[in-house]
Amino acid sequence: MKKISQERMFDYLLTKKIENYIGVPDSTMKHFIDHGIKKKKILITTREDEAIGIAVGMYLSGSLSLVFMQNAGFANSISTITSLVQLYEIPLIFLIGWRGYLKKDAPEHARIGKIQPHILRILELQSKLVTDDNWKYCCDWAIKKVKQNQSCALVIRRIFYD
Amino acid sequence: MIRKQAIGIISSEIENNVIVAANGYISRDLFDVNDKHKNFYMIGSMGLSSSIALGVAIKNPKKRIFVFDGDGNILMNLGSLTTIGSLKPKNLIHVVFDNEIHESTGGQPTQTQYVSIKKLAKSANYKVFQASTQNRLKKILNQIKKMPGPIMIVMKIQRSSFVSKRVALDTIEIRDRFLNSLKDKH
Repeated sequence: MKKISQERMFDYLLTKKIENYIGVPDSTMKHFIDHGIKKKKILITTREDEAIGIAVGMYLSGSLSLVFMQNAGFANSISTITSLVQLYEIPLIFLIGWRGYLKKDAPEHARIGKIQPHILRILELQSKLVTDDNWKYCCDWAIKKVKQNQSCALVIRRIFYD
Repeated sequence: MIRKQAIGIISSEIENNVIVAANGYISRDLFDVNDKHKNFYMIGSMGLSSSIALGVAIKNPKKRIFVFDGDGNILMNLGSLTTIGSLKPKNLIHVVFDNEIHESTGGQPTQTQYVSIKKLAKSANYKVFQASTQNRLKKILNQIKKMPGPIMIVMKIQRSSFVSKRVALDTIEIRDRFLNSLKDKH
């Protein structure tokens, strides 16, 4: 996704009362995170499950969060999603960088990239692929979900190889 | 002292303050000795009590937020010490009940007999206290009443075969009564 779309997406979510942005960085969404850091709205954690825990505490205090991570980190969080987010029905927006989306990507991304859509499906976590053209629609969809007390995921494809 | 006694003393001394209790026997003991709406009982997601409490502490700066954690639990999420130590929430008090074992899974050893949680927490900008007796514990609780956090109390406890009953609330009830209790100004 382009820099400008990522920045606009951040600003849009913020105006729609998604107040906290917590997670582990991914270069796939670098501009989203950098923009949030400039606005002093980003909390970087050591692990993805830690970020989810903090976001849950904030939800219990009446404040909505987006939790960002790479898909490898999403895989790290599965138990936290089933035994905390889903068990207590806590609404969160996950923003996930889809590494291994391209056929030609780093070897450590290949396997997780291939199974990622299946993991989301098995977890019954509804998701949308965010692009430069549809980010606003995706944000509205995600905001509607969390306001209905459901978690959901926005996925950004990694379409570059560095 | 066993964990349930220590939990009884602390939860009664701190009165109606918020407590986020780790999964396993810690939540069960707290539910058994001093159930209240301002207790958040974790059923699963081992290791995350300090992170959930950090989220609550950031959003409720005027309330004192206690974490009831275990040695096995905090070792699973040592990164949370560095996050807490970076943000330095003044209202966070982290109690670690340390029996050097995973009691609820059959008493397998943890590594706190070799590596000091006290030192780890000190490096992470906590003010750290340690107790193993009732008198010392009460003194610490008195001493920290007005002290800004983050504070850690390492409560050394004895192993025990005593098991409290399970938390007899469903997770949605735990969530909603806790969420509503935080809306109070006190």
